[in-house]
Amino acid sequence: MRFVVIGFAIAACTNTAAPMATQTVCPTPDPGTLTWDSFGQPFMATYCTACHASTLSHSQRNGAPLYHDYDTLTGVLEIPDHIDSYAGAGPAATNTLMPPGRCPSVPGGGLDRDCPHPSDAERTNLSLWIACERLRPH
Amino acid sequence: MYDLHQPEGRVTDVGRRRIGVAALVGSLAPSGTALADHHHDMAMSENHQADASELSVGVSVEAARFDTGPYVGSYEGITPSLGWLRGRFGASATISLYHLDENGLGTNGLGDTMLGGHATVLATDAVQTGVALHVMLPTGSELENLGMGHVMAMPSAWGSWRARPVTVMATAGYGRALTGLGGAHHDHGAAPLVDPMNMQELTWSAGAGFDVGHGFGIDGRALGGIPIGSGVNRVIAGAHVAWSTQRVSTGCELQLGLAGDPFTIRAVVDTALRF
Repeated sequence: MRFVVIGFAIAACTNTAAPMATQTVCPTPDPGTLTWDSFGQPFMATYCTACHASTLSHSQRNGAPLYHDYDTLTGVLEIPDHIDSYAGAGPAATNTLMPPGRCPSVPGGGLDRDCPHPSDAERTNLSLWIACERLRPH
Repeated sequence: MYDLHQPEGRVTDVGRRRIGVAALVGSLAPSGTALADHHHDMAMSENHQADASELSVGVSVEAARFDTGPYVGSYEGITPSLGWLRGRFGASATISLYHLDENGLGTNGLGDTMLGGHATVLATDAVQTGVALHVMLPTGSELENLGMGHVMAMPSAWGSWRARPVTVMATAGYGRALTGLGGAHHDHGAAPLVDPMNMQELTWSAGAGFDVGHGFGIDGRALGGIPIGSGVNRVIAGAHVAWSTQRVSTGCELQLGLAGDPFTIRAVVDTALRF
């Protein structure tokens, strides 16, 4: 019994927040104000593609998994739910798991600077853009 | 491993085998954490007297390389273990500390904590069977690929048959994440990198060992997990050499990941002291 109590106490102290779907829904009709060119591409370039780019090899990604590449709209639309649940904000969750604490100054470089972090408004727009973009014809 | 290497003439067959059966229990849990658990259990049981409590402490060191597709890298881990045995009942606890290199990022951290209890149901000269329950606590970071991110419960059953100097053994169990499998919490498939399991799966193992004598034993085994619902079928093969005295057991195992990308190759060295 002591082991169980100690174990749960350790778990309570060390477990981290889990990624959560924000449950963001694109309004009808789609306002069309957030697009890849106006929002998605600059957001990804600012916060993500130093590690999440299709041009980076395994060893250059600073832990980012392969096939999680956001330098193209196609790459983003491969895993929109993943992006929403790690970096987006909406009615059900505000996810701040990404970006991490440290980032490379140049894509593929070492973790030599503090990462820039999106504002809450930018995270909300990220989830809204994803919710709308995934419904648009491509 | 698997009670294949008892010193001759020190205890009765049943007494010597008691922990060998307990050793089977660990093989149902995730492969890495369980390895320490499993060898630890074994170390405890070989010379155990049924009417006395026995404590043991152990440590396991492992090194592995993996290529899962999304992730390429390696890890090293050290796993202290603590065990207790009395009569038909036993319990154990392990927790691992890892250094993980994944896609160019190095991380240090705790893995998940494994707590286990087991009971021998049938014990004869030739046959032993029993049941066990392992619970894994999420002390490892899910985001850093060091932990499952939720509690896992893993009930199991095991059995062995011995015709000296050969012993064959098998286990079967069920593992389930104690969280919603299809709700808000995502299904991450097999995770984490250091000891992957599915959110819900059937676990199994089968193996055979040979008592070389003079405290030495060799054995081979296969173990794995079959996903229930979404997930990845996992198969691991291992070859193990062990040496044991009345108080100390030491062994090393080389493992290959045959399916499901748990790792490409892993080496484990473990030792345990009982008193």
